[in-house]
Amino acid sequence: MTNVGMIGLGKMGRFHMMNCLQIDDIDVVAAADPSEKALIKGKSAGVNDLYVDYHDLLNHSSKIDAVIISLPNFLHFESIQLALEAGLNVFVEKPMANTVEECREIVKLVEKSGRKLMVGHCMRFIDAIEKMKTMKDKGHIGDLEVVTLEMLLNGPFGLGFVPTPVPEWWFDPKKSGGGVLIDMGYHLIDLFRFFIGGDCKIEFCCLDHKFYLPMEDGAIVILRSCDSSAKGIINTGWFQKSVFPGFNFRAILHGNAGYLSSEDLVPRNVYVHAIKEGTKNLLRKAIGKKIRTLSYSYYYTQYYKELQHFFDCVKHDSNLSVSATDGLKTIELIEEAYKTDSRREQ
Amino acid sequence: MGSVVSLVRTRVSEEKIKNSIAEALDLINFRPTNPVSCVSIKVNLCYYWNAATGQTTDPRIVAGIVDNLRERYGRDIDIRVVEADASAMRTRHAFLMLGYEKLAKEKNVELFNLSKDDVDEKRVHVNGREIVFKIPRSLLKSDLFINVPKLKIWRPTKITCALKNIFGCIASSRKIAYHQFLDEAIVGINKILHPNLTIVDGLVALGRFPVQLGLIMASTDPFSIDWVASQIMGYNPSKIRFLRIAMKEKLGNPRGITTCGENPSMFKEDFPKANLSSSKMLMDIQIRLLRLYATLTRDVIPPWLEET
Repeated sequence: MTNVGMIGLGKMGRFHMMNCLQIDDIDVVAAADPSEKALIKGKSAGVNDLYVDYHDLLNHSSKIDAVIISLPNFLHFESIQLALEAGLNVFVEKPMANTVEECREIVKLVEKSGRKLMVGHCMRFIDAIEKMKTMKDKGHIGDLEVVTLEMLLNGPFGLGFVPTPVPEWWFDPKKSGGGVLIDMGYHLIDLFRFFIGGDCKIEFCCLDHKFYLPMEDGAIVILRSCDSSAKGIINTGWFQKSVFPGFNFRAILHGNAGYLSSEDLVPRNVYVHAIKEGTKNLLRKAIGKKIRTLSYSYYYTQYYKELQHFFDCVKHDSNLSVSATDGLKTIELIEEAYKTDSRREQ
Repeated sequence: MGSVVSLVRTRVSEEKIKNSIAEALDLINFRPTNPVSCVSIKVNLCYYWNAATGQTTDPRIVAGIVDNLRERYGRDIDIRVVEADASAMRTRHAFLMLGYEKLAKEKNVELFNLSKDDVDEKRVHVNGREIVFKIPRSLLKSDLFINVPKLKIWRPTKITCALKNIFGCIASSRKIAYHQFLDEAIVGINKILHPNLTIVDGLVALGRFPVQLGLIMASTDPFSIDWVASQIMGYNPSKIRFLRIAMKEKLGNPRGITTCGENPSMFKEDFPKANLSSSKMLMDIQIRLLRLYATLTRDVIPPWLEET
């Protein structure tokens, strides 16, 4: 049994907690959040040790094997540092930290501690993305030449079914680390690295400020592989009004022998998909089989799958597919993109 | 004598908008009797969605109103653009993100968050229900109170325009607390606050999707505006519940409403009507099915859906 502590029980933290409870041999034994309402939700999910301050959770961590950190971006560095010092394995929401220096420090700490740290590069776990990567690696499209990645949503400004204010830290670039590039662009840059399977550099970056905020709300970035002729074109923005279940995301891999598009691999109709997968799960339940968590939702399965992978690696002491180094490299590229844009502006 | 609603078709350029607003005001013969030195303009900034989505008041309309006011009442009048926090929206961020800070600098107007104002607690009875509102005090002191709503559909009330925009003046941000008796609350707040003038921003209207309608409407009677607006949006106004309650509470009377300027049917043709009752029903069914499914299978519901 792997005992887990939740650091942060906001929406993402609660989602991770509910997913953990679905994974075999995982027990969520502790949770920390300054919000009383969040702790009540933790209690009702069966978590016994509840703390207002996550430092207290780490001070009482003798029976905890791993923590899941879902705090605001600016608190990632300190919480990772303390969790590793406490000898715990760590799963942290992206970004790993807000600056390259902090990320480098974390990579060193992970090596020194001998513990596992996985960053939530969840989009690698989308079924369509996994299929595209496998097909590309098998040579189905020849040599990869151009990758186009698009994600345009309201991001943190998305309005849920029950309206709640956007957390204030999102409006402060010192706390958030930046704008759409560190939020959604982060995933797209990571996906480019994932598809090319190596390092890359920034060729061009153009940031936009449609909302007059101190951080960017739109970004076009061009990346180039360091080992091949593959280039990546990234288009992301917070400026588009998004309404659930709409998800304006697509990835296209163009090779010299053909192309692969995520739009050909995702369900054409999310409602039909939900009914189909939901019915399958009901049948599985009826005959006493394990259900496929969140399969009805298609895109949300990625969050369950990334945690499943993390706990598998912790349990079997195997290598993580997303390491602290991936977290560092993505932040290095984002910092380079910011510099490229400001050089272009000058 | 009934109320007059003017309709003017405009084009998206600052000068054209300004002239169209002047035309809309002339058509209703708008001439306030009191001297005007302090004006409050209530916009609709429901969320951080740009005016092109049809959800929020276009700053160019406000710029046109400001220019008209200065021409009519002198350059020295104090003009404040006002909005209050909502359950998910914070006014200070909306002013910045939707271009109002830029407008304030260019047009020398003040931006004011009604949620930060001193409040008076007022009680009203609507449809047999007592409702308590926190009313921003400064609104009651304006010489001229201008309501600048959007023309859009909204699932809970079918349409949202003049009367609903006044609901946005309530100082408390947790307006969702009123949603269980929303129709009564809309009528209740309008029994307390009475804008002297309503100018509807229909540059981009929102139906099934946003549409560049290029419409400006004006009237001194918000009820009449909503009556005509609901017809443009393809609804029978007598079937809009808050309008029926408003009639019962003597806030307005459809008899004798006259329109001048453009014919409303011209705009009705271009408006993308939506079938809200079926979409609301479908949404309710989806949520119920999801809850039932989760109960039976113990599967996870993402928190942003779970909280409905």
